[in-house]
Amino acid sequence: MNDSSEKSIWHLFVEGDVNAFSTLFKTYYSQLHSYGLKISSNPALTEDCLQTFFVYLYDNRKNLGTITHIKSYLFVSFRRALLKYLKKERKITSYDEVFENSTVFEFSPEELMVEQEFTKVRVRTLTQLLNNLSARERESIYLKYYSGLSTNEIADVMSISYQSVLNTLQKAFTKLRTHIESQEIKRALKII
Amino acid sequence: MNESNQSLLETFLNDTSFESWANQSNQNDMEFWDLWIQNNPSKLEAVYTAKSIITGIAFNKTVLTEGKITMELDAVLKQLSSKGKKKVIPLKRTLTPRIQKYAAIAAVGILFILLGNTFLSATSEVSHKTGFGEIMELKLPDGTSVVLNGNSEITYDKDNSRNIELNGEAYFKVKSIPSTNAKFWVNTKDLKVEVYGTQFHVNTREEKTDVLLDEGSIHLVLHNGITKKMVPGELVSFSKDNNKVTHQKVTTETPYSLWREGTYVFNNITLQEVMNNLEHAYGMEVEFIDEELKQQLLTGGIPNQNLKICLSAIEKSTGTRIVIKDNRLILFKTQ
Repeated sequence: MNDSSEKSIWHLFVEGDVNAFSTLFKTYYSQLHSYGLKISSNPALTEDCLQTFFVYLYDNRKNLGTITHIKSYLFVSFRRALLKYLKKERKITSYDEVFENSTVFEFSPEELMVEQEFTKVRVRTLTQLLNNLSARERESIYLKYYSGLSTNEIADVMSISYQSVLNTLQKAFTKLRTHIESQEIKRALKII
Repeated sequence: MNESNQSLLETFLNDTSFESWANQSNQNDMEFWDLWIQNNPSKLEAVYTAKSIITGIAFNKTVLTEGKITMELDAVLKQLSSKGKKKVIPLKRTLTPRIQKYAAIAAVGILFILLGNTFLSATSEVSHKTGFGEIMELKLPDGTSVVLNGNSEITYDKDNSRNIELNGEAYFKVKSIPSTNAKFWVNTKDLKVEVYGTQFHVNTREEKTDVLLDEGSIHLVLHNGITKKMVPGELVSFSKDNNKVTHQKVTTETPYSLWREGTYVFNNITLQEVMNNLEHAYGMEVEFIDEELKQQLLTGGIPNQNLKICLSAIEKSTGTRIVIKDNRLILFKTQ
């Protein structure tokens, strides 16, 4: 969806148009679903929460204020809703606890796209390196390269400054680069 | 990384030319940055970090099936409508049975009106039409962009902008939807173009339909039931009136005329055919004072945002003079 058509769909949605609501749902459901799974690691809980979230969105559409970036708005408010949901379900006692958990934003070897000459062992090494990063570094990498958010949008979603996002990404890649010895893995990362 | 390298990193990330170097997408930018790196070896660390941030990590994205999403959507829509009902319930208690009966009748009436509306809106058509000499750039709800030439029209169902009717001439950049592999169709009087995501040109003037494929791959379903697969750089013409198909690879020798993003591109086309294009797009009649001009060949791109510019480009490249009189274009040789 491009910017202007997205804006008009959002406008229709605020007016109460169910078709526009369905379009938004279909466009973002899958992305939000995999984002939610990365946080909760629980498909049933993520899906329950997504339902409640979209119903809430529709019921409160008049009170959402002016939304400029729909995608990051949906990510940030779904993230908030999910954390609240996890707290209510007593899966966690505080928000920070989520990010202390090492399984948050954990990547699996299957999720890495690799060129054919790549062996499974090397994919596993790269996965391990990624999973050794901090949860926040992994989340910023996830949002940037998996969800395709811009640096500004990531700043919104993670409620940190633009500069911090950049620092986090920079730290993450510096760590990856220093750990990577094998030429092939360098190629996978497309680093010279 | 120190302070100055930090701001350098930011500069790199906001520089589109640096981005093309990192993605190796532009020769000029690549040469420029390769040289820059040679001259600034101390900045290597910042360069590599910026490069890895740009190229990033390639993920295999998990995409839910359409069926799953529709199922979830239905569940949510049900919750929306059940909430609507709840608001109505308290009203009933205050009404007498008689009024209740009328209310029920009224409610049924309203329900029918509502259903009628959704039914109508579900089948209602959207149409975009250009006047003579008008060019319209459209973004369809699915993200596909269409450039409509003058005197052309596209029509589609409000709920399905990926199945459209075309009458006239248009250039399409179809947005592909990899998650669902959703097809896109362009229907003309002669054939149907079946697409996943690509760029192509369709012209239905002259009692036939021409399709020229720029990128990707498409299937044509001709009016007589025959299907054809096209690869980039091919041109197919078909007319249902005489069932005549031509399928050719466009080379420097192939005569063709096409219209791409607001520019006419002609290759070995007679001036007469060039002028036919303008007749259709601008709704004017063309008159040749010097008959031999008709057979003069023309090759090149001509902008047609504006008739005057278009005509002066033709005048210059063919050595003619074109005069506009009323609704006629009169061509003669310059002496």
